Amino acid sequence: MYRFITLLWMAFGVANAHQMSPTYPVLEDSYLEGISVTKVKVFNKREDVKYYEIGVFDKDFKPIPFVAQYKLRGIAFNEYAIFDIYLNNKYSKDATYICSESMLTDIESTGLNSKICSKIKK
Amino acid sequence: MIKELALIGVVGIVSFGGSKSAFALDVPITAQVTGSCIISTETQGTYGQPYAYKLSTAASDGGQQPVTRVDVTLANAYKVKFTAPDSFSSAPQLNDVVTFTGDTEVQAVSDATNMADYETDKVEVNDYVDEYGLTATGSTWFKHSSVANNGGDRAFPSGTYTSYVTAECIAL
Repeated sequence: MYRFITLLWMAFGVANAHQMSPTYPVLEDSYLEGISVTKVKVFNKREDVKYYEIGVFDKDFKPIPFVAQYKLRGIAFNEYAIFDIYLNNKYSKDATYICSESMLTDIESTGLNSKICSKIKK
Repeated sequence: MIKELALIGVVGIVSFGGSKSAFALDVPITAQVTGSCIISTETQGTYGQPYAYKLSTAASDGGQQPVTRVDVTLANAYKVKFTAPDSFSSAPQLNDVVTFTGDTEVQAVSDATNMADYETDKVEVNDYVDEYGLTATGSTWFKHSSVANNGGDRAFPSGTYTSYVTAECIAL
């Protein structure tokens, strides 16, 4: 019962949250030769955040070149965005993490910068 | 008689086979468990100023400690890393070097049995960075503290000071 209440609360009770899924995105062949693609979904339930930035990193969190329609994207409160991420196959072997990070524009005193990283399934 | 028995046998086999295949019809139930990490601001922090040269989030100093909640839907799939402020993100023109200290600790957990060791197992990467392995599904509340001391005990110039805690949820 306790777990059920916790799950309900996790599903509906989060008032100010940043969420990203899946945990382990899979790279698939795109319609372009030599280019792989995957998708991540970012859900904005933070009223204080209007923009999120997406990035691709290797195992040491060094940036990996990628292409997306938007790397920095406005996501309204209680809305989600799906990012299509295209990677050249010569980088896809090293690509390990896809991260979304909140862009703080208006913080009062001690705010929270949230960053969530999914791990690309090999 | 032999023909009738043979016919009954054939009909029986056909019926049995037909009904067997009807009962054995596979109804697929599929699921794609994607899992996710959710980072929430539970309490916004504020600095109190117990002395002219000190800003602190401690309640005893007139501040409020920020509280972050992290929910995970997959066990052993994420670690969470918190970085306490080591500078102001915005401040008036400062008149000396500011020294920051900060810490993070578990405030509460949703699963007292499986999350009991979160605080004892935390890795203190450096003075500002703490890492926790999220080995169970559910929610964990983390409380952060931040103290800023102005050099030479000089008074902070008047104005608005802001800083932020960074919370990173990293898939393993």
